[in-house]
Amino acid sequence: MAAWTSRFLLLRAPCFAALRTGGVSESPVLALGCVRTLKNTTWFEEHLTEDNQKYMRKSINEEYRRQTVEKLNPLKDEPWPRHAWTEGSRRVGLVAVKLGMVPVWTKTGERHVVTMLQVQDCHVVKCLSKEEFDGHTAALLVGGKNVSPFHRSEETMEMFRIAGVPPKQKVTTFKVSDNAIIKPGTPLYAAHFRPGQYVDITAKTIGKGFQGVMKRWGFRGQPATHGHTKTHRRPGASGPGGDPAKVFKGKKMPGQMGNYFDTAHGLKVWRVNTKSNVLYVHGSVPGHKNCLLKVRDTILPRRSSSLLNPPFPTFFTEEEGDLAEDLYDQDMFVYTEPSLTLAD
Amino acid sequence: MAACIKRLDRAMFSIRLLRNVQLHNERSLSTSLHRLALDSEPPSKFTPPVKPVIIDKTQSVASLRKFLSPEFVPPRQRTKPVKFTIERKDMIRRRKVLNIPEFYVGSVLAVTMTDPHATGKNNRFVGICIQRGGRGLGATFVLRNIIDNQGVEICYEMYSPRIQQIEVLKLEKRLDDNLMYLRDALPEYCTVDTDMKPHPFSTTGEVPVNKTKVRMLPKPWSKRWERPKFNVKGIRFDLCLSPEQMEHAQKWAQPWVEYDMLKEYDTSKLEEDIYAEIQQEAAAK
Repeated sequence: MAAWTSRFLLLRAPCFAALRTGGVSESPVLALGCVRTLKNTTWFEEHLTEDNQKYMRKSINEEYRRQTVEKLNPLKDEPWPRHAWTEGSRRVGLVAVKLGMVPVWTKTGERHVVTMLQVQDCHVVKCLSKEEFDGHTAALLVGGKNVSPFHRSEETMEMFRIAGVPPKQKVTTFKVSDNAIIKPGTPLYAAHFRPGQYVDITAKTIGKGFQGVMKRWGFRGQPATHGHTKTHRRPGASGPGGDPAKVFKGKKMPGQMGNYFDTAHGLKVWRVNTKSNVLYVHGSVPGHKNCLLKVRDTILPRRSSSLLNPPFPTFFTEEEGDLAEDLYDQDMFVYTEPSLTLAD
Repeated sequence: MAACIKRLDRAMFSIRLLRNVQLHNERSLSTSLHRLALDSEPPSKFTPPVKPVIIDKTQSVASLRKFLSPEFVPPRQRTKPVKFTIERKDMIRRRKVLNIPEFYVGSVLAVTMTDPHATGKNNRFVGICIQRGGRGLGATFVLRNIIDNQGVEICYEMYSPRIQQIEVLKLEKRLDDNLMYLRDALPEYCTVDTDMKPHPFSTTGEVPVNKTKVRMLPKPWSKRWERPKFNVKGIRFDLCLSPEQMEHAQKWAQPWVEYDMLKEYDTSKLEEDIYAEIQQEAAAK
């Protein structure tokens, strides 16, 4: 497109010069405009009429939906060899969308709040062997939530095309053990995690901007009155005086708050809805509503014993297709049960 | 009851016998055990009119009104609708086990709840509903009563498994949708008899509105109820505030807000859909 624009302008310029006597002064202006219009990128809709654009968007959308709903795996080669679960293996995780929070009750009548996470169009995108990744472990790239392909770079699209999956909004890396690698293009479901196990969740926290110490670290500040001037929300003294004669590193100070990646460790999975692929995870998780998060088996050593014989390397619908719609933790109250009577 | 009395009159029996029968009936209203005893009695010379005359229709028959509990309506926000759909399914499941009747702010309720610290592990509380809050499974309501001259409020979670029973003792609305101002009103307005019998109510038609206006305790109140943002209609402001004070409160009025089109949230269509869905789910049991 850039080439076309410049040529057009250059062709026009001599015409003006020939017709007009004062055309000499105009041509540099045109040349300047020509430089400005130089662009290296092209929009996909640049040469398309509006109808065609609409058609493109619609057809691509339908194609992707069909691909995900029918679980088509366009890679027709044979499946990769599977290995058995051994203690200490690292499984792949999921990319999920945060839906919101709801209460759950236990069978003893206690109330907990849980966060609902939906696993939406989650696929393995790429498999990196030990050598390709960092020389220590293998890794899997997992993507979640289909997006429009029209505003992705060609390199990114190439990766998805090789895997045979629609482009994804978020792609993350999971370090896995060598026996847990999965073929790219495999869909992942919420039933990958089971109730009673513990997970770690990483996401970008809600950004608060540059904040002072009162909001960021909970400092007390100073009184509003009683003779205080210009000192109400300030940090006060920042450390000891003469002896160290410095401010120690890591001193709590004003700065950027939020909008960084944070991990909540050791959250219990209370319930898994296999039909709409929803995980019920204990407590709050970082990130705003509808944000994309990374969910994996916990790394906490004391909680890893909760992972007994999980679906390995992941949950395949063809093998365990007869799972119940809802899997509950054994302590959780199920709404079809009668009300609790705490008789003892 | 009337039918019972009429039939007895026709039988022309002594007044004493009549009174006895009435007493029997009233007692057996509360417990089905008595009723069984009455039925199993060997028939004497006189068989009193049989029990079912006093079936408490008001309580056993569900309301025929088209009523959607407000916690079913999702709030206006950018949450994905699938969250509310899943939540609604759980709510309907719970409602199949526990009957959550139709009630409003201002109705008198009795809630029986499992309480690990109570004697007998059960706790029944009677009070006037002063607030309904929450959406979805986290829906709550607040009951208030005065017990031993002490105001008591309990916030119940509607879908908590510890709730055993919710009874509506008196179904009515008040002039406001939030009666938190009863905290600052004279105690007589939220005093409810704990042994109150359920009042009969019609299962069709409009819900009766109790147009009581309450008299307040002297200021200071927990909130400035005269401010326009509360829009309280059920307070006798003329008894506690001067006209100047009432006019002064209008300083905080925001008359333009009602014309703010961005704040409009028309849920009528949504409510229709949800109501149809609930009916369908309930029928599918």
